[in-house]
Amino acid sequence: MKLAPVDYVILALYFAFVLGIGWRLRKGVSSSGDFLLSGRSVPVWITSLAFIAANLGAVELIGMAASGAKYGIMTAHFYWLGAIPAMLFMGIFMMPFYYGSKARSVPEYLKLRFDEKTRAFNAISFAVMTIFSSGISMYALGLLLHLVLGWSFDVSVLASAAIVLAYTFLGGLTSAIYNEVLQFLLIVMGFAPLAILAVNKAGGWQGMVSRLPPNMTHAWRYMGSPTENPMGVEIFGMVAGLGFVLSFGYWCTNFLVVQRAMAADSMSAARRTPLIGTIPKMFLPFIVIMPGIAALVLSKMNLGYDFPLKATGGPDYDQALTTLMAQFYPAGLLGVGMTGLMASFMSGMAGNVTAFNTVFTYDIYQSYIRPGAPDHHYLTVGRVTTVAGVLLSIAAAYLATRYNNIMDLLQLVFGCVNAPLFATFLLGMFWKRTTAHGAFAGLTLGTAAAVLTLSSTTAEGKGGWIANLYTFPSQMAQNFWIAIIAFTTCLVISVAVSMVTKPRPDKEMEGLVYGLTKVPHDATAKWYQRPAPLTVVVIIMLVILNFWFR
Amino acid sequence: MDLRVPSGWFFTLVGLILLAMGVFKPETRATLTTANVNLYSGACMLVFGLFMLLLAWRAARSGE
Repeated sequence: MKLAPVDYVILALYFAFVLGIGWRLRKGVSSSGDFLLSGRSVPVWITSLAFIAANLGAVELIGMAASGAKYGIMTAHFYWLGAIPAMLFMGIFMMPFYYGSKARSVPEYLKLRFDEKTRAFNAISFAVMTIFSSGISMYALGLLLHLVLGWSFDVSVLASAAIVLAYTFLGGLTSAIYNEVLQFLLIVMGFAPLAILAVNKAGGWQGMVSRLPPNMTHAWRYMGSPTENPMGVEIFGMVAGLGFVLSFGYWCTNFLVVQRAMAADSMSAARRTPLIGTIPKMFLPFIVIMPGIAALVLSKMNLGYDFPLKATGGPDYDQALTTLMAQFYPAGLLGVGMTGLMASFMSGMAGNVTAFNTVFTYDIYQSYIRPGAPDHHYLTVGRVTTVAGVLLSIAAAYLATRYNNIMDLLQLVFGCVNAPLFATFLLGMFWKRTTAHGAFAGLTLGTAAAVLTLSSTTAEGKGGWIANLYTFPSQMAQNFWIAIIAFTTCLVISVAVSMVTKPRPDKEMEGLVYGLTKVPHDATAKWYQRPAPLTVVVIIMLVILNFWFR
Repeated sequence: MDLRVPSGWFFTLVGLILLAMGVFKPETRATLTTANVNLYSGACMLVFGLFMLLLAWRAARSGE
C-alpha cells in the first residue's frame, strides 16, 4: 500500500490541529490541578467521548477487527455484555463516591477509604502497567506502519510519541481530553465508510450470515458448550468472567478511564459521563468488529481479496483492517483512514501518559518522596513526569521489539491485576465493615491467586510454568476463569480478614461508603439529564441489540 | 475554547479536500469498489464540519 500526496496533506492537517489545540490550551494551566485534573471543568459531552476514546487505542482498534475475523459477532460481547453494563454501574453507583470523596485519583480513593499500603500497592502496579501498555501499543503501531506502508519503525514511533508529548506537555489533561474527542470523531469518520463498503460488498448482513458458519454470526446461540463456538468459552465463563469481573474491573477501577469522568465540571456531569458514553460505545462494534467479519467473508468470495497470511503461514488477523483499507479506500479517503489509525494510537497513548503522570505526582511523589511542597513544585513534577512517561513508553516499545514473548506474558499478567481490584472497590464502597487490613490482604492474595492460576494451567500452549493442573479449551476461557478465581479469592479473603480486624468509625468514612454518603437527586433536571431514565433507555437498546444478534 | 470550533474546521477542510478529489479526480478508485467513495464521504464530512461550526456559532452568539 502506498500513500499519495493528498493522503500526506490530510495527515499533516491532523497533526497541525492536535498541536494547535495543545497550544491554545497551554494558557489554562497555572496549577497542578489544572495540569493533572483539568481543574474539574470539562463539559459533559467532551468527557463522555474522551471516556470511550481513551480506551480505543491502536491495539484495540486493530485487535477488534482481528477478533471479528477470528471469533465472529461473539466479539461484540466485549461491548454489549462487558463494557456497557459496567459503564452504567460505574455512573450510577460508583461515581458518587469517586467524585464526592474529592479524591484526585483511584489510588487516592483507596487511601481515603482504607490506608497507605493499599494505595501504594495500587499506585505502583498501575504506574508500571500504564507504561508497559503504552509501550506495547507504540510497538504495535510502529510494526504495522512498517509492514503496511514501509515506514521506518524508529521514525513512526518517535514522531508520534513526540506529538503526543508536545500536546500533553502544553495543555495537560485538558489537552489530552480535547484531542481524544477529535481523535474519536476521526476514528468514526475514517472507519465507518470501510464498514459500510466492506459489509455491502460481502452481501450485507444477510449475505454474511449465508456465507459463514452459523456460530460466527450468532452471539448467544452457541454458547452452551466451549466446543461449539469459535471463542471456546461456555456461558458461565463468558457472563461471569468477561461480563462481570473483567469488564467491571476495567471500566470501574482503571484510572485511565475513571480520570476522564472525574474531570467533569459537576457531580451530575461526572455521573452522566459513562452513561452518555455508552450510546456511541454501543454502536462501535459496527465500525470496529464488522469489517473484520466482512474481511473473512470477502476472502471466500473469489473477488481477488485474499485473507492476509503470516510469514510463518496461518491467517494474520491483525492485518484484516489495513488490507481492507487498501482494497476499498482510494487516495484521499485512505489518508483519512490511516490518520484515524494514528489518531487511535495517540488517544490511547495520551490516555496512559496523563493517567501515569497524575498517579505518579500525587500518589507516589507527593505521598512518599516529597510531601508538603508548594503547588507549583508539583506542577513542575507533573510536567517532568509527562516527559519521563513518554520516554519510558518508548523504552518499553523497544524492549518489546527485543523480547516479544515477555510482552505477551506481561499483557496476560496485567489482565489479572484489575480483576481482584474490583472486589476491593465493591466491598469498600458498599460494605462499611470492610477494613484496611482486609482490603490489603484480599487485594494482594487475589492478585497472587491470578498469577498462580496462570502458572498452573495452560491454554493454546501458554501458561503452566509451575504445573499443568488443567487445560482450558482456549486462551479466552483461561483469561475469564483466572479473573473469576482472582475476584472470588479477593472477596472471600477481604471479608474474612475484615471480620476479625477492627472496623473504622462511621464518622471517618462519610462521603466514601454507601449509606454514609448523600447521593444527589437531580429531581429538577430534565429526564435525559438524570442518570436513572438515561440508564433505562440504554438498557432497552442493549437488550434489542443482544436479541437481534442472538 | 469551544472544541466544536477546531473539530468543525478540521472536518470542513478534510471534507473539502475529499470532495475536490471526488469531483476533479473521479477516476481515483480502489480495487474492490466502483463507487466514488471520496465524493460521498467528503460530502458527509463537510456537512458534519459545518454543522459543528453552526452549533459553536449559535452558542457563542447566545453567550454574548
